[in-house]
Amino acid sequence: MTTWALGVAVIEVLRGRSTLQQSPVDTAFVIGCGWFVGQFLVTLWMRMLAVASVPFAISTVAVPVAAVAIAGFVAHRLGRRRATRSIANGIKRWISPDHVPARQRMLWFALLGWVALRFVLLLNEVLQRPLYPWDAWTQWSTKARVWYELKTIVPFVTASEWFAAPGGGAYFDAAPHYPATIPLTQVWSALLLGRWDDALINLPWWLTAVAFGVAIYGFLRQQEMEALFALVGAWLVLSLPIFDAHVALAGYADLAMSTYFTLTALAAFRAVRTRSAADALLALLLGCACILIKNPGKVWLLMLLPGVVAAGVPRYGNRFAAGCFAAAAILAFVLTQHGVTVLGYRLKLDYDMPWRALLDAWFAYANWHLLFYGAAAMAVIAWRHLLSRELAPLTITVAAGIAFLIFGFAFTNARVWVEDQSTVNRATLHLAPLIIVWMIMAFRAWSARAESGSADILVPAQRGAS
Amino acid sequence: MTSPINAPEGATSPDDAITVSADGPPSDAKVSGGNLRRQAIIAAAIFGAVFVVCVLVYLALVVPGQWFPSASIKTWNATNLTLTRGVGHLAGDELVVTSPDPNSITLLSLVTDFRSSDYPGVAWVVKGLAEDADVRLLWTSDVRPDKLNSAAIEVSGGRSLPTVVQRNPAWLGHIKGLALAIHGPLPQPVQIKGVVATPLGAADVLRDRLHEWFAFETWNGTSINTIVGGADHQEVPLPVLLALVVGLSGLAFMALRRWRPGNFAPSTPAFLATLFLVAWLLLDARWGFNLMRQEQATNALFLGKDARAKHLVNDDGPLFAFIEKARAVLPSTPVRIVIVADADYFRGRAAYHLYPNNVYFNPRSNEIPAATLLHAGDWLLVFQRRGIQYDRSQGRLRWDNGQTVNAELKLVEPGGALFLIR
Repeated sequence: MTTWALGVAVIEVLRGRSTLQQSPVDTAFVIGCGWFVGQFLVTLWMRMLAVASVPFAISTVAVPVAAVAIAGFVAHRLGRRRATRSIANGIKRWISPDHVPARQRMLWFALLGWVALRFVLLLNEVLQRPLYPWDAWTQWSTKARVWYELKTIVPFVTASEWFAAPGGGAYFDAAPHYPATIPLTQVWSALLLGRWDDALINLPWWLTAVAFGVAIYGFLRQQEMEALFALVGAWLVLSLPIFDAHVALAGYADLAMSTYFTLTALAAFRAVRTRSAADALLALLLGCACILIKNPGKVWLLMLLPGVVAAGVPRYGNRFAAGCFAAAAILAFVLTQHGVTVLGYRLKLDYDMPWRALLDAWFAYANWHLLFYGAAAMAVIAWRHLLSRELAPLTITVAAGIAFLIFGFAFTNARVWVEDQSTVNRATLHLAPLIIVWMIMAFRAWSARAESGSADILVPAQRGAS
Repeated sequence: MTSPINAPEGATSPDDAITVSADGPPSDAKVSGGNLRRQAIIAAAIFGAVFVVCVLVYLALVVPGQWFPSASIKTWNATNLTLTRGVGHLAGDELVVTSPDPNSITLLSLVTDFRSSDYPGVAWVVKGLAEDADVRLLWTSDVRPDKLNSAAIEVSGGRSLPTVVQRNPAWLGHIKGLALAIHGPLPQPVQIKGVVATPLGAADVLRDRLHEWFAFETWNGTSINTIVGGADHQEVPLPVLLALVVGLSGLAFMALRRWRPGNFAPSTPAFLATLFLVAWLLLDARWGFNLMRQEQATNALFLGKDARAKHLVNDDGPLFAFIEKARAVLPSTPVRIVIVADADYFRGRAAYHLYPNNVYFNPRSNEIPAATLLHAGDWLLVFQRRGIQYDRSQGRLRWDNGQTVNAELKLVEPGGALFLIR
């Protein structure tokens, strides 16, 4: 919770300097994002300690983090007393049923109870089961265990390097060059626990899911969605079975990749629209985290670029996006011809798409409930609105993301991992929450058009929504 | 019912935000609570009717004989089976076949006596099969007792699938004997629970589908990659059925709305959204139910145990126990340890349990590093690895390709050993 407080404090301090108007509906988004910002900043701080040869300890990690969080809140309170109060009021309003229209209140609470029950089950699994999934104990927690015991970051190297330096302090695991962010979150948990407990060190995965749900709810509320429908949106994300599996069987980086990437996209689109430095910094921070969580994070950020341009320069955005797609296609053609390896993926020209396995993964198995049916239906029925000023950034990003996935599955060695169902869903998980947000926004645009005869449905605030 | 459009902030009454669409006739009307309930009932009725129609159409397509047959299911368990060719043994309620006969044939048989026309389906309950295994159902009947008939059995997810034999011209008269034949080597032991002759009536088919959807899917090594949603093999995955029902319900609604506009006031978006969310909720309820059963299983295994006790009851409990003993022998400061084991799983798990020692394990191959790469002072941990010999008198360790290294045996346990390289 210290990291969560740190993140909220940092965002609040940023907001205090921005022109962003305080609003109760912002509260949930700020609180949700706070966890992600705080968690990432703590890992950055731990990297700095390691560089300075300061050993990890409660006094060197937790105390400074808590101090910065408290200082942030105090400074913010002194500087913007009213604003801080508005956050507190925002939380009160957010957790009270008053903001839910009376006719929806029962459904809102019922759905909240349904989500809460799910999280109780997931929490039980996280607390009880020792580290379970394969990569977690061959390439992620391996580093965490060593760094926790040695109280600092020591390098992990390849097998040949390990054998070549028998006296060196370098370690080995199945993926020695993977980024340090995820292991450092486990080190942080172990530090707080005071021991290595390979069930409890995974609590951040559960908290990540909780915070993500809050952030998605907050984002949809920011988009002028009613409380019930914002909660429906959060539920759709949180109920995805593969998402839940990554919470329950914690230890992989894909949950973090997915949540950070989604929030980076949402924060970036918002920043471009509000032109707020605070929002831009938030997006930048979350984007940096994407790069430092998993190697594909770099590519995911590239997928975001056309959408951000479309948001910032709506007049030319769609044309720019079309140019990006064309350039990407040409680049992909050239690269696949030469059979180069990018981020560990070997590109090859021969097209060999394992369609059956992909359709099973997206449509037949339980991984995604009805997500891809809904997305496909929405692409058809709302096609007139997909490139509207409001929807274009999301549409372009989702399209780029799906193109990236399909390209990876068809033209790289990842094809095998689709056929055996080993990576296809984990890669898709990175994009899935954003697809849900896009689906909801597209549905709103379509339904507003379909119901445009009802004058009282379109609210002025929505027309001018930021 | 309304679409997910924000209610006006200034709405004074809850009903202010409830509107109906302009694309329906009562465009400006407010929907009262009673009307809302009525529309909800209409939506549920359409959804239910389409669901029932889909089920009936499916049954019409797949039920091979009578919908309501008088015969009941016949089951033979593993103790009724005779292992005619191959090597195996009974383990609990399963017959475990470990290897075929010298001609690479595995054959199990049993004596039966039932009317073929009463039982159009036969299901061998077998798991552990290779995906490309050549598996056949064999039978004899009283029509031509001298003739051995056969039909191919499909394999999915390592399990045999039920075989519909009704349309097979040799499925005649009284069936006097059934057999299961597996051609080729067995990469792993095959477990046979028994065989079931089923009348394949409508109730049987529906029960099979329900069983597939609600089969308990416990956590396994692939759960982090894929959630199947019940049984490994499903004739009709539940998401596919529900998506079809939602789509057809939407079409039915639009047709009815065009035909009787006055009776179908909800807007099309609201109606579709409601159906979609209800279908999603059904799937989520199934998933939540599975999670609940998983938590019961998890608690039964781990609840109330400390970290060490949890590891001892975990899948790799024996390995963890061995590593504990090895740790007692190893120096207290981290040392370099090379880990070898036949199974990837044990190499990785042993390494994980041994950190923060400076361990090496080959994540993808069973290859042991060349002897020249090992240095005096390194340790070698062996767990369930064939092909390693230790000559205690000479203090030499020997493995694949005749490689040798001087080593001192520090710990030996059934299946595991720890050496210090000299």
